[in-house]
Amino acid sequence: MDVDLEELAAIIELLDKTEFTQFRFEKGELRIAVSRGEPLAGESASAPNPAAPTPAAPAPAATAPTTAVAPVPPPAQAPAADDLAADEFVVRSPMLGTFYSAPKPGEPSFVEEGQTVAADAVLCIIEVMKLMNSVPAGETGVVRRVLVRDGDLVEYDQPLFVLGRAS
Amino acid sequence: MTQRVFVANRGEIAVRIIAACDRLGYETVLGVSLADRTSLAARRAGRVVVLGGPQSRDSYLSVDAVLHAAVETGCTALHPGYGFLSERSDLARGCADNDIVFVGPSPEALDALGDKLSARALAEKLDVPVSAGGTAESWDDVSALAEQIGYPVLVKAAYGGGGRGMKLVHTAADLAEAWSVASSEAAAAFGDGTVFLERYVTSAKHIEVQILGDRHGNRIHLGERECSVQYRYQKVVEESPSTSIDAATREVMTTSALKIAAELDYVGLGTVEFLYDVHNGEVAFLEVNPRLQVEHPVTEQVTGVDLVRQQLLAALGEPIEITQAEAEPDGHAIEVRITAQDPDRGLAPTPGRVAEWRPPVGGGIRLDSHIYQGYDFPPFYDALMGKLVTWGADRDAAIARMTHALDRFAIGGVTTSKPLLRRIVTDPAFAGNTVTTHWLGDSILTGGAS
Repeated sequence: MDVDLEELAAIIELLDKTEFTQFRFEKGELRIAVSRGEPLAGESASAPNPAAPTPAAPAPAATAPTTAVAPVPPPAQAPAADDLAADEFVVRSPMLGTFYSAPKPGEPSFVEEGQTVAADAVLCIIEVMKLMNSVPAGETGVVRRVLVRDGDLVEYDQPLFVLGRAS
Repeated sequence: MTQRVFVANRGEIAVRIIAACDRLGYETVLGVSLADRTSLAARRAGRVVVLGGPQSRDSYLSVDAVLHAAVETGCTALHPGYGFLSERSDLARGCADNDIVFVGPSPEALDALGDKLSARALAEKLDVPVSAGGTAESWDDVSALAEQIGYPVLVKAAYGGGGRGMKLVHTAADLAEAWSVASSEAAAAFGDGTVFLERYVTSAKHIEVQILGDRHGNRIHLGERECSVQYRYQKVVEESPSTSIDAATREVMTTSALKIAAELDYVGLGTVEFLYDVHNGEVAFLEVNPRLQVEHPVTEQVTGVDLVRQQLLAALGEPIEITQAEAEPDGHAIEVRITAQDPDRGLAPTPGRVAEWRPPVGGGIRLDSHIYQGYDFPPFYDALMGKLVTWGADRDAAIARMTHALDRFAIGGVTTSKPLLRRIVTDPAFAGNTVTTHWLGDSILTGGAS
């Protein structure tokens, strides 16, 4: 099924008249995700937090295979927080979910390393039980590092991106 | 295939579930809140994922976050513990939709038991004794029903339970207001304003029967627990067996519990709660708790059965490992709930750093707890720090052992309910087992009683 721009505009116009913050439509290959206003739990996503690394997390949290007797894998706070430059800040996941770097598979990522983004720019999508939630940068900056891979399970408060403040 | 169990809870019960999984050789994944990343359960779990913020509604009560985490970490089963999401049929259905075994009864059983009015109707249909009561549409019918039952009456919310959404009415003059307030409170708290009337048993003992069923039609009971020492409907001390009832009464309760289990094709652990009227010896069905119960250790101590192990096996389709004959109690067990609450200030919560935590050790002493020395007890969740359980050849021996165990339990840094618990277990009324459900509020805690 194809949707031309006119139809897309009609959909958005219809949505504009309804109360919603997240909208998702899927049919065959087609996937439309629209969000409006403040992202869910946006306050924690947009809070740049370079001054508060997590001291308890000792090692980089690679997604190690699970074993029943393994020690607690530390939450993945450490890597980003440890090597932050003075002008950098971290964008954290506002919720537990699956990380998607692009609007749909095969499409270009929302952002690439080196790209300058506005505060309201969408950096990624976090999917929770089929609900898509977009994560904004929260602050204007340059994307320095992407800390997770497409399709990864990310935890609440997990660092996703390191951005450099615009000088 | 190795089972991997998602533990959707926290505190001592998460530790307990992980221990049972370890013994079965199952892998575990624990979902925690941001405040619980350094908990004892987090240290013991195979893997830990942060579900959300410290507030329960953002983490432990988020069905979507829990389900997503369980699916994405490849879990084959999910154990909800008690409280939080343990009685939510939407979580049970969500698990089924994602090929995850929910460690609990079917969503249909959860729905049938979540509505206390339908649970009551189920009991009546099965000739299980219930208190006089019922519901009505029109005000005339409601007040006529109350007259027929006889005051005092309780107004209860259909979707309440465990004392929540309940009003005691002493006279006809107060009924109208209680009925409408209870209904609007129930609508706000539970999303459904249905309320009903039930006779208030003035002097009652709380006695409950542990049931266990599997997917092969095996259903047994594991005797009863008495939990009459309560405060504001919160259980404080529990024991098994009950020395308050005779064999005939026990037979009524266990038979009733098994009838309910059979009717619901019950799988896993459940508790059928009754009130026992000490004046006339009558038994009245209260409700069914379709989950693992806080006080399950007293049953384990007298039967020797690992209930969480049996619950997991039953959910995963294995037959339970014990027969009715093997579930006979031996001796007597008592549990006290040590909480971070100040008995001198109306049991106000007392979170903080547990500077000292040195539990007693010895034969016949068990402690289920997630506390360690240096632990920062968080302010976000319930106040339970641990369940101290003692076993003895008889009730007196179990009480004596409990008294000594409490005396040797060194806790520092936070104020706890330990002094209150010691007063209870050394009180002559407790020793004589004459206590009823309002005894604690009328005696030791009279200052803070409602």
